Amino acid sequence: MAHILLRDLDIPDIWQFDTYVANGGYEGLKQAIGNHTPAEVIQIVLDANLRGRGGAGFPTGRKWSFIPQNEAVKYVVVNADESEPGTFKDRQLLEKNPHQVIEGAMIAAYAIQATAVYIYCRGEFWDLAHALEERIEEARQANLVGENVLGSGWNCPMFVHLGAGAYICGEESALLNSLQGLLGQPRVRPPFPAQKGGGLYYEPTVVNNVETLANVPWILVNGADAFKQIGTSESPGPKIFCMSGHIARPGNYELPLGITFRELIFEHAGGIPNGKQLKGILPSGASGPVLRATDEVLDSPLTYESVAKLGSTLGSASFILMDEDTDMVWAAAKMAHFFKHESCGKCTPCREGTYWLERIYERMMRGEGTEHDLHLLNSVPRQMVGVVLCALGDFAANPVLSTLKNFPDEYERYIRQRPVREQTADTLQDYARKEAGEHPAAVGEGGL
Amino acid sequence: MTDTVTITIDGQDFEVPKGMNLVDAAKLHGIGIPVFCYHPKLDPVGMCRMCLVELGNVAIDRTTGAPELDEQGNPVIRWFPKLQTACTQTVSQGMVLRTTSDMVVEGRENILEFLLTSHPLDCPVCDKGGECPLQNLTMAYGPGESRFIYDDKIRLAKHVPLGKLIYLDRERCIQCARCTRFCDEIVGDDVLAFHERGRRLQIVTISDPPFDTKFSGNTTDICPVGALTTTDFRFGARPWELTEVSTICPYCPVGCNLNASTRMDREFGGKAMIKRIMPRQNERVNEIWICDKGRFGHHHSRHEERLLAPLMRNKSGELVEVEWPAVYKAIAKQLKAHGDQAGFVGDSTLSNEDLWELRRLAELSGGSPRLGLWPATMSGGDVVAQVGVGSETRLQDLGPGSVILVMASDFEEEAPIWWLQVKQAADRGAKVVVANARPTKLDRYASAVIHYRYDEAVGVLNSFTAPLLSGDGQLGQGNGWGALQSDLQNAEVTHADTANLLASAENLVIFLGSEGLTLEQHAELMQAAANLLIVSGHVGRPNNGLIPVWPGANVQGAWDMGFSAEATADLLANPPALWVIGGADVAGEDIRMATALEQAEFVVVTAQFMTPTAAHADIVLPRQSFAERAGTYTNGLRRVQRFYPAQGPIGDALPDWKIFAHVSAQMGGPRPPVAAGTIFRDIAQRVERYIGMDYTRLAWFEPQFPDVGGDDLYYGGTAYSNYGGLGLQWPAEAEAEQPQFSVRPVRTAAPQTDGLTLVPVWVLFDRGHLFEKSELMHHRMPQPYAAFNPDDAARLGLTDGDRVTLAVEGHELTVTAQVGDDNPAGAVLLPRRLSGDATLSTPAACTVQKIESMQKVEG
Ligand SMILES: Cc1cc2nc3c(=O)[nH]c(=O)nc-3n(C[C@H](O)[C@H](O)[C@H](O)COP(=O)(O)O)c2cc1C
Ligand code: SF4
Ligand code: SF4
Ligand code: SF4
Ligand code: FES
Repeated sequence: MAHILLRDLDIPDIWQFDTYVANGGYEGLKQAIGNHTPAEVIQIVLDANLRGRGGAGFPTGRKWSFIPQNEAVKYVVVNADESEPGTFKDRQLLEKNPHQVIEGAMIAAYAIQATAVYIYCRGEFWDLAHALEERIEEARQANLVGENVLGSGWNCPMFVHLGAGAYICGEESALLNSLQGLLGQPRVRPPFPAQKGGGLYYEPTVVNNVETLANVPWILVNGADAFKQIGTSESPGPKIFCMSGHIARPGNYELPLGITFRELIFEHAGGIPNGKQLKGILPSGASGPVLRATDEVLDSPLTYESVAKLGSTLGSASFILMDEDTDMVWAAAKMAHFFKHESCGKCTPCREGTYWLERIYERMMRGEGTEHDLHLLNSVPRQMVGVVLCALGDFAANPVLSTLKNFPDEYERYIRQRPVREQTADTLQDYARKEAGEHPAAVGEGGL
Repeated sequence: MTDTVTITIDGQDFEVPKGMNLVDAAKLHGIGIPVFCYHPKLDPVGMCRMCLVELGNVAIDRTTGAPELDEQGNPVIRWFPKLQTACTQTVSQGMVLRTTSDMVVEGRENILEFLLTSHPLDCPVCDKGGECPLQNLTMAYGPGESRFIYDDKIRLAKHVPLGKLIYLDRERCIQCARCTRFCDEIVGDDVLAFHERGRRLQIVTISDPPFDTKFSGNTTDICPVGALTTTDFRFGARPWELTEVSTICPYCPVGCNLNASTRMDREFGGKAMIKRIMPRQNERVNEIWICDKGRFGHHHSRHEERLLAPLMRNKSGELVEVEWPAVYKAIAKQLKAHGDQAGFVGDSTLSNEDLWELRRLAELSGGSPRLGLWPATMSGGDVVAQVGVGSETRLQDLGPGSVILVMASDFEEEAPIWWLQVKQAADRGAKVVVANARPTKLDRYASAVIHYRYDEAVGVLNSFTAPLLSGDGQLGQGNGWGALQSDLQNAEVTHADTANLLASAENLVIFLGSEGLTLEQHAELMQAAANLLIVSGHVGRPNNGLIPVWPGANVQGAWDMGFSAEATADLLANPPALWVIGGADVAGEDIRMATALEQAEFVVVTAQFMTPTAAHADIVLPRQSFAERAGTYTNGLRRVQRFYPAQGPIGDALPDWKIFAHVSAQMGGPRPPVAAGTIFRDIAQRVERYIGMDYTRLAWFEPQFPDVGGDDLYYGGTAYSNYGGLGLQWPAEAEAEQPQFSVRPVRTAAPQTDGLTLVPVWVLFDRGHLFEKSELMHHRMPQPYAAFNPDDAARLGLTDGDRVTLAVEGHELTVTAQVGDDNPAGAVLLPRRLSGDATLSTPAACTVQKIESMQKVEG
């Protein structure tokens, strides 16, 4: 079957405006504006039961319907911060099929009658962002973006904004702060982005993931029912699976939701290299709990509900696979380091908890872990879950608790045999602490 | 009545005001929800997670609208599965919470354990130790012991200067953002921010110069830990050694309530000594804020240059120390000889009691007393008595529907806390109109900004009044309505939008300064404001009326005691042979005064220091500072407020009232009263405005809400408890049951001169003879300068930084020129009190000469 999202795999030149249009591009936007009221567009997306591809799987049509209609200023923000370890799907879409994202965003904007669209790209996407600006300009010249779109009398410019390299700025409210030029920290909710007071510049705002929006033009052209033919009824549509780690053919795979882990890993992505056994699966990058690769897991369908039932999350569907030789404590240590590095520091449990966890793992990597540390690993993350301001604090607990649960023997080994992983221990060292040790004077002066 | 809702806390039902923050609502009923980041004066941010509670709602049956009931007939509660932060909730009907369940107890323990992992073990040496919310909450809610391995602790810089007044200890900071939110939300100065993220998140100053705000000290009060300390106090004393004494700031008309934290100190001969100045909560005055002048400006009270004994000129003309009885006698003798030619001047730092005794002395001296007040920059005491703002006005009540007009004042420099309150009123939705000859900082928050030529000020107010005069007026006969109407019937409507804004205001408060105005012009401006307020009906009720931006702490009291700026002007016009000057450094501040004193026959001065005025004197009397004595000040909202002796006495200095009373006794008057309170009783019997007041009544207080930093430190920060009294306001005439109003046409003729006018302006951090003694503030005091408009500068051949000589009324002043677009044409702005050189009280024509030599002085 032809791709719906990764159309570049079928038509390599689809990134070019003319090629995109020649292959049915912007048909969805034309139909939306030409044949439907904004409310109807929302209804179509609701009917299709498209769910957000940014991680939470929230129904997109519902999200759009929350926007108060009588507000003068409203925004659509495209979340292209793509910072989850192991996630690289949005990049391919923006690079190889950019007009489809622009079109999807414009349909969303039409549906809520937005005054402007902002695309927030992670800082490392600077090259891509420049190219994207050119694509937007092409669309503008074709009257698909900007003033009086397709003669409808509705104005909606589109802008690209570059972040500065923070995972937390993928979280929607931190993203909005960052977009406003404020510190990238999440906001207290309510008010939610869709509400007055909660969005960009405190105006009602829809924040959607790149992949989510890339689905929308197809839905407008082919209808909600056709969309529901793909995938399952709870989780309809195609999904891009990002495959990395110990996998024979890493890369992006667009497949219908509802295929099994086994099909994805072994049929499509070529299985585990070097004849190794698969041991651990991270289905949603670093943020979802690690699964042990049991038959039960491998035969489960990849839908939002069933992955949740297994005790993990489908999230953005970023699969990091770990073979039998992988040291799971080491893997957890690396993730603890990641979250400590990326915590925004706004709320106490996450700021202090991620720091504390990193210290414990650092000790373990030095071969100095104790029973006390094991006890702490079991309780410190539990003290974070559910009492934090945004999901990052919950995410940070996942690798610890899930590896402890699924691979307890490996932790035992660290306590009993105390292997030393010097290099990892060094990466884990907090540099402020390190400086304090090595250059007490510099730190004493208030050096950063 | 505000709407109330019923909420249930730990099984008990409470009525609470609808829409109130849940933490405040619980506190209202004595239920403690511990907080670190939440502060009732700041928007909630939900950062620290200390205020976790179990939260639920009574389930409502959608069809019937009645609560769903379970089998036992109890309402069904829908609980959130996870703990919620109370500080981010506003109360609503049917809200249910648990604050003592195991889940909550554990949640709080966990948060505290987290906070303490990064916290240093500094309590024994920490300034906050003993009044620290983190200590208190740890004792109350913390885990018994730590599981954290101390070696894991992050080590951070402990002495990070955020400017020269405040130090940050990065290890102690718990990242609550109170300090940054104070700067952003309350003040609007973009000076502090978080840098970095995660555990490295830290406070930095982002302004140049660092921490560039006039209110920096407040951050150290609201900081819930010892992370922010002032240069003035850090490591100075432990909180439990300190005794709080209520006092009032002696600097500006706001009249901020202060607590002086004192202890018997070795450095001060074992006497009680002020270790720090803190705000004292008075929701009617300064809420819980003070400016850095009030906080750090107390050093004059025990400065080494304080005068310790009376001085009198000997035969060879030198001032030599003498005993008190000798000076009393000498002054009495002079007054008996020249009494009817004597002039009396009282400073704005003199208390009502001082001024009263000075007046009594003047009365005893014969003739009709000539009572001048200082600084003599503003007229209109009678206008204030008539249309002054209504009693129980609270600036924090001004919001949507209110219009605040601030005119002829560089407001932040002249009345910092009012500025801050007006800024916040604007944030709440009040419309602020700023009118002055030049841009000032308040323009940022203004709905309308009017820039006029200084001599057009009256015209601006008249143009607002004119359109309101259609019709017959509601004032009845003989009130001047008709005259005003015919005078203004052809008035030009220059600012129609603003006039409409004013006309539609529900509440109207006018703050009036006197920038660029002579005393006569200012009298007209005050009357023009009265006309506007009366004609528009914005008098006689709270949150309406006139607030004068008086040039000092007790100028209002001086008017009340019978002193006036007009009398000062008259003393200059017809100089007396004998001067008695209480407290003021008239010669140091005003060249006309300096000349007058030079020519006087005999000058008596009470002073804290050997000021230029004291140097002119024949008798110099050491006066006590506000810190070591009792008294009352009356602020710009006519609130009479008590201050108490906080610090041990210095030398033989006495309070002014005592000095004047002794001289009176020497002249045959009554025996000197023994205490300030006795004098106040006298005042309350003779000054109509003060009838019914006495020291006990002035000391009344009531629980204030929000109960910020009460002794239980509920909201963290340091205690602001007010045990000294909330003071009493005297009502304006407009508040009488049947007020007698009258309006009167006022016009200002444009001046004939087309040369330059020297316009004295105020800066907050000046080198006045008292504030100058706070050396830690010197870096905030500008170098003396005169500001020029670029066109004027070009004509004079001046560029920024040139040295210039200003010639005015036969005197010459040398300063550095500042050239800037914001300066009005035709005016040379000259800040008062920036150097030892006297300037002017009111505008005057001047000429300017550039100094061509190489004498450029380092700025
Ligand atoms: C720490 C954190 C990081 C996130 N990063 C991203 C991201 O990089 N890209 C993204 O689309 N959503 C990210 N999200 C999810 C967004 O908050 C938000 O749910 C999403 O953009 C909504 O779009 P959707 O409904 O289309 O999925 C992140 C969430 C959290 C808590
Ligand atoms: S959970 Fe972590 S990332 Fe999220 S707001 Fe709190 S500190 Fe920031
Ligand atoms: S310095 Fe104090 S007020 Fe500022 S964030 Fe740190 S703890 Fe809070
Ligand atoms: S605002 Fe005025 S009264 Fe208040 S502390 Fe500052 S100078 Fe003193
Ligand atoms: S989160 Fe509520 S007080 Fe800090």
